[in-house]
Amino acid sequence: MSTATAAMWTELLKARRSRLPWVTAAAFTIAAGFGGLIMFILQDVRRARALGLLGTKAALTGGTADWPAYFALLAQITAVGGAVLFGVIVIWTFGREFSQGTAKDLLALPTPRTTIVAAKFAVTTGWSLALAIQTYLLGLVIGAALGLPGWSAAVAATGLGKLLLTAALTIAVVTPFAFAASAGRGYLAGIGALFLAVFLAQVIALLGYGPYFPWSVPALVTDIAGPGRQPPGPLGYGLVAIVGIAGTLGTALWWKHADQDR
Amino acid sequence: MTIDAVGLTKQYRDVLAVDDLTLHTTPGEIYALLGLNGAGKTTTIRMLLGLIRPTRGQVTLFGEPVGPGRNTVWARIGYLVETPSAYPELTVSENLQVLARLRGLREEKAVSDVIARLGLQPHAHRRAQTLSLGNKQRLALAKALLHQPDLLLLDEPANGLDPAGVAEIRTLLHELAHQDGVTILLSSHILTEVARLATRIGVLDRGRLVWEGATADLVAQARPRLRVTVHDPGHATAALRAAGHTVSTEDGGLTLTEDHAIHHPDEIATRLVTAGCPPTRLAVEQDDLETCFLRLVSHA
Repeated sequence: MSTATAAMWTELLKARRSRLPWVTAAAFTIAAGFGGLIMFILQDVRRARALGLLGTKAALTGGTADWPAYFALLAQITAVGGAVLFGVIVIWTFGREFSQGTAKDLLALPTPRTTIVAAKFAVTTGWSLALAIQTYLLGLVIGAALGLPGWSAAVAATGLGKLLLTAALTIAVVTPFAFAASAGRGYLAGIGALFLAVFLAQVIALLGYGPYFPWSVPALVTDIAGPGRQPPGPLGYGLVAIVGIAGTLGTALWWKHADQDR
Repeated sequence: MTIDAVGLTKQYRDVLAVDDLTLHTTPGEIYALLGLNGAGKTTTIRMLLGLIRPTRGQVTLFGEPVGPGRNTVWARIGYLVETPSAYPELTVSENLQVLARLRGLREEKAVSDVIARLGLQPHAHRRAQTLSLGNKQRLALAKALLHQPDLLLLDEPANGLDPAGVAEIRTLLHELAHQDGVTILLSSHILTEVARLATRIGVLDRGRLVWEGATADLVAQARPRLRVTVHDPGHATAALRAAGHTVSTEDGGLTLTEDHAIHHPDEIATRLVTAGCPPTRLAVEQDDLETCFLRLVSHA
């Protein structure tokens, strides 16, 4: 067994034995169900009005109850929910080694430290993508159960493509939280960085500079700001890629070279 | 030479954690780093392992530099640094499987062997979070021994173990060193354990190696002294000093360290009786290892 395979196996075992996969899966299930609830409300205007505030909010986010709108809503859920939950996954995967004192057991082994970091990122990426796909599949079931109009294979493929793009962008922008959790030697620094990024993403998007702020880009790709707003361009995507590469490389270099004195 | 550390120094801003430490060990040796809390034992072990870079100085293990990227050296080392840690939601067996895979071992045999060796069979399928401190320490030692290393770096290996556990680990480490030729460097502040286990001792104080030698040499440093208990220490002291003896008073008694007094306590007794303050107790005592150690540290 190669060191990379061994590292992957160990990371998967650690993830499988924890409660976090179930918690994140439950969170995205609830989110997909929430999207379905909004579609359910939008299907019947009188019922939506009878529900008051919830109906108003549903009208703001979705507008119409059909497959394209539902897929757009699922992508928005992935962008907003993913920024937090994908971030939590990354922070847990890296921060736990320091919070639980197990990092030192991984630092002087025949398996290179960078291989262990790569395995951790591979598992967090796979885990996050699995959640995005779960959201999509649940969306298919819920949308079919609601009898949403506007279904076609092309709409379904476009919906999946946008959701996966959103997930990929979100996965890229959460990688610096791995660095924060590692350099901060625990969950706290990672959580702090996550809150800061989510807060700034909201503020900067409101100011109109979202397409140039990497943590705002995934949500803007889903048209969350509404029609007519400037979508992220190549610069925005480029910045997301740079953040993803910097987060990954920075974490790997930190694990490889930093003094491990705690 | 297994460990060859020369001039190791670690400075953290204004704190000098380890100061110009030179240390060598030979195969099959059990070397103990002895020191009070904060003496620099753990920092030294971390530098020897390559977990932290020395500010100055260098380390080679088995003739090779140690540090990030030196994975072949790490393959020959087992270690336990500071408190024992484990993945709480994994079982004892799974915790060992994780390390076995990362060490490229034949997992099942290596894991079952080390579980048997450390007496962890009853707990093999228990989650690590349910283990007692002593069993967590056994698991940490099992991780260090899993791959049958040539060098063991153990930071306070007896921590959390009950007396039976301490004795078991002592026997195990003796076997490893004397039968398998494993070199062991351990840190401890449990002096009696060190005396029973180590062949050589290095005493660390505020980052400096203040004494190094065979365990027997440290014990030999223990000074005998004559302790005298009397009803009137002031009068007795004056009488003995008048007779030319050097006397100190401590804990309400008198202490004489000169050879003549130690070898002829009967003469001291006679003098005190003659002076009208007969001793109620008179005994030749010898420092224990702890006293020797504390004296070394306080002199430093």
